[in-house]
Amino acid sequence: MLAPYLLSLPAGLWLLILFLIPLVVMLSLSLQTCNFGTGACVMTWHWAEFGQQLSLYHTQLLTSVWFAGAATVIDLLISFPIAYWIAFYGGNKKNFFLLMLLVPFFVSFVIRTVVWQFILSDNGVILGGLKHAHLLPQNFHVLATGYAVVAGLAYNYLPFTALPLYVAIERIDRRVLDAAYDLYATRRQAFARVILPLTIPGLFAAFLLTFVPALGDYINQQVLGGTSNTMIGTVIQNAFLTNLDYAGGSALSAVLLAVALLGIFAYARLLGSRTIEEYL
Amino acid sequence: MTEDNGKQVAGESAWLDPSVWRGLTQRRMSRRGMLTSAGAAGMAAFLAACGVKGTSAQSGGATPAGGVGTAAWWAKQQLHHRVNFGNWPYYIDVLKGKHPSLEHFTQQTGIRVNYTEPITDNLPFYAKIRPSLQAKQYTGYDVIVMTNSSPPLGYLIDFGWLTPLDRSMMTNFNRNAGPLVKNPSWDRGNKYTMAWQSGWTAIGYNSSVVPNPGTSVDILFDKKYAGKIGMMSDPQELGSIGLLKLGIEPATSTESDWSKAAQVLKQQKSDGIVRAYYDQSYIDHLKNGDIVVSQAWSGDIFQADLNSKYKDLKLLIPQQGAMNWTDNMCIPMYAQNPKDAMALMDYYYTPDAQAVVEYYNDYVCPVPAAKQVLLHPSGWAKTALKQMAPSIGLPTSKTADAPTVFPTEQYVKASRQYYQYKSQEELNAWNNLFLPITQGA
Repeated sequence: MLAPYLLSLPAGLWLLILFLIPLVVMLSLSLQTCNFGTGACVMTWHWAEFGQQLSLYHTQLLTSVWFAGAATVIDLLISFPIAYWIAFYGGNKKNFFLLMLLVPFFVSFVIRTVVWQFILSDNGVILGGLKHAHLLPQNFHVLATGYAVVAGLAYNYLPFTALPLYVAIERIDRRVLDAAYDLYATRRQAFARVILPLTIPGLFAAFLLTFVPALGDYINQQVLGGTSNTMIGTVIQNAFLTNLDYAGGSALSAVLLAVALLGIFAYARLLGSRTIEEYL
Repeated sequence: MTEDNGKQVAGESAWLDPSVWRGLTQRRMSRRGMLTSAGAAGMAAFLAACGVKGTSAQSGGATPAGGVGTAAWWAKQQLHHRVNFGNWPYYIDVLKGKHPSLEHFTQQTGIRVNYTEPITDNLPFYAKIRPSLQAKQYTGYDVIVMTNSSPPLGYLIDFGWLTPLDRSMMTNFNRNAGPLVKNPSWDRGNKYTMAWQSGWTAIGYNSSVVPNPGTSVDILFDKKYAGKIGMMSDPQELGSIGLLKLGIEPATSTESDWSKAAQVLKQQKSDGIVRAYYDQSYIDHLKNGDIVVSQAWSGDIFQADLNSKYKDLKLLIPQQGAMNWTDNMCIPMYAQNPKDAMALMDYYYTPDAQAVVEYYNDYVCPVPAAKQVLLHPSGWAKTALKQMAPSIGLPTSKTADAPTVFPTEQYVKASRQYYQYKSQEELNAWNNLFLPITQGA
């Protein structure tokens, strides 16, 4: 009778040690009052921390949701044709194409982003040349704008969107498509009523794997962004590492977690979650 | 500054008002504020359950346990012929990947120096060494360099986490240290620290794009350069310049002044004037033209200006004043090689060693006599300066005459001190006003 429980022990321990305990620590820390000098924190049930942090940083939170959402939509729009093409027309070179998709991502995350900073610099290789040719006004810039941040997020998280989509599209039974055509479906109808519904679990997985990390991202904004588009990840990182404000950082992390969960549940309700686990 | 000026300063006479130097950028947290932490230690057992470590700071603060740092303790210490020196990047002379001043030190004393550059910001570095200090363990560094304008130096002193210096091994310091760094307000009697370098947070600008910067901090708020202006992300630097803009003395400002300064800086941001809030990286953006005016550290601009490629970069000390800070060498507690550390720190108070450092660095020299060495070098310093000359590309007299290295009266008068937080609440209030600006949405 005990066997099933024993078998779940490794997973249970994993969950407890690496997920549940850190979560409780974070929540508890958000209610404590910390001394910046000693790093010592005392439980004071300081619920006001949430209100204070939210009043200081709610706009940054909304910016994060907006940017991560925009980047995810862009990624879905770019990835779908790629994944579709590789799955349906990749032939025996499928693995090669997938590898091509991933090769740029063998380079470190930060380096890739910094190189974009270099490329998009006001007087850099692209903008500098265009300005020199008077095709752009002198004060035109891409860096330090929200567009640059969203583009950076979209670029950096593309594989996390493309791969789950590819898996979903790849496993569609071609005979179902043939059947659709046999029943006089146009190509557009076949796509809308057969392919798309069958890839919804993949779309959901892609959404999760892109939106959630993008929501907490703190690199792209710092490297590519400016003053008016700080994301909440940057604020949390600064709270923990630069200002040693552990309570404030924890409170913001807890809020971010809540926002991410809300988004996920809303999305799951909207699109259904029947076969999600197959893709995650 | 000439030696003559130095004497005047020491005599607290003539043009230099000593109060200007007194407490320049004092450490920011009083002992009283820190003592509240002692109560926190009692909660350590409970907190351990939640993964946060209580402090082991001695109640009473500054006297380290076990007689560390007393004359008797120092008498028992021995040279180990090695020392671990942790400093900030680009802060020491470089010649083909080596450091001539350190090499000369090793030659002279037989002490090998493991020189690393782990410090890029005070608080994060402090957070890294704090767990070792709380566990009464060696931090891995015998000498570290901490800024007086940032809270950690005060924390380290108040918690007894610095080794009091060996008075008998400060010969060069006693003989050569300038009035700016001798007996500073943040460490009376140099009990724990000797200055490494000082500098100003002023305004850097590109003179080819900004030919007439004026003489005021207003240039940082000029709509003409909207989107091309850089500000610092450090809340101390940002808040202070906001206060200067309003003509308020940062050191004696009040919380309502801070709110006013925050308003001005918020307006500056919402008007689209600020390109971004930078850390050390502002200098790269100033060089590549992303910004044309920026809050800047004096040495950075002078160093860049030496390079013919960035000749247009100039430093402006505004009429409202410029924040002045000092980075201090100190020995963390539980250091393994304290005697070697003392030897190293005192060595940097020889005019020869400082001259070599300044030729590369161009920050404010703590040893006024180094000016004479730069003008008339001899011995090993002559060789080192000569070898470095091709890569620096300018005569050493240029460094000797730089007001940012050996300050003139104008620079000294323009110096302003940072606000000293009297409690954790004040620090929180300051941060809650200025951090949201640098992290705007």
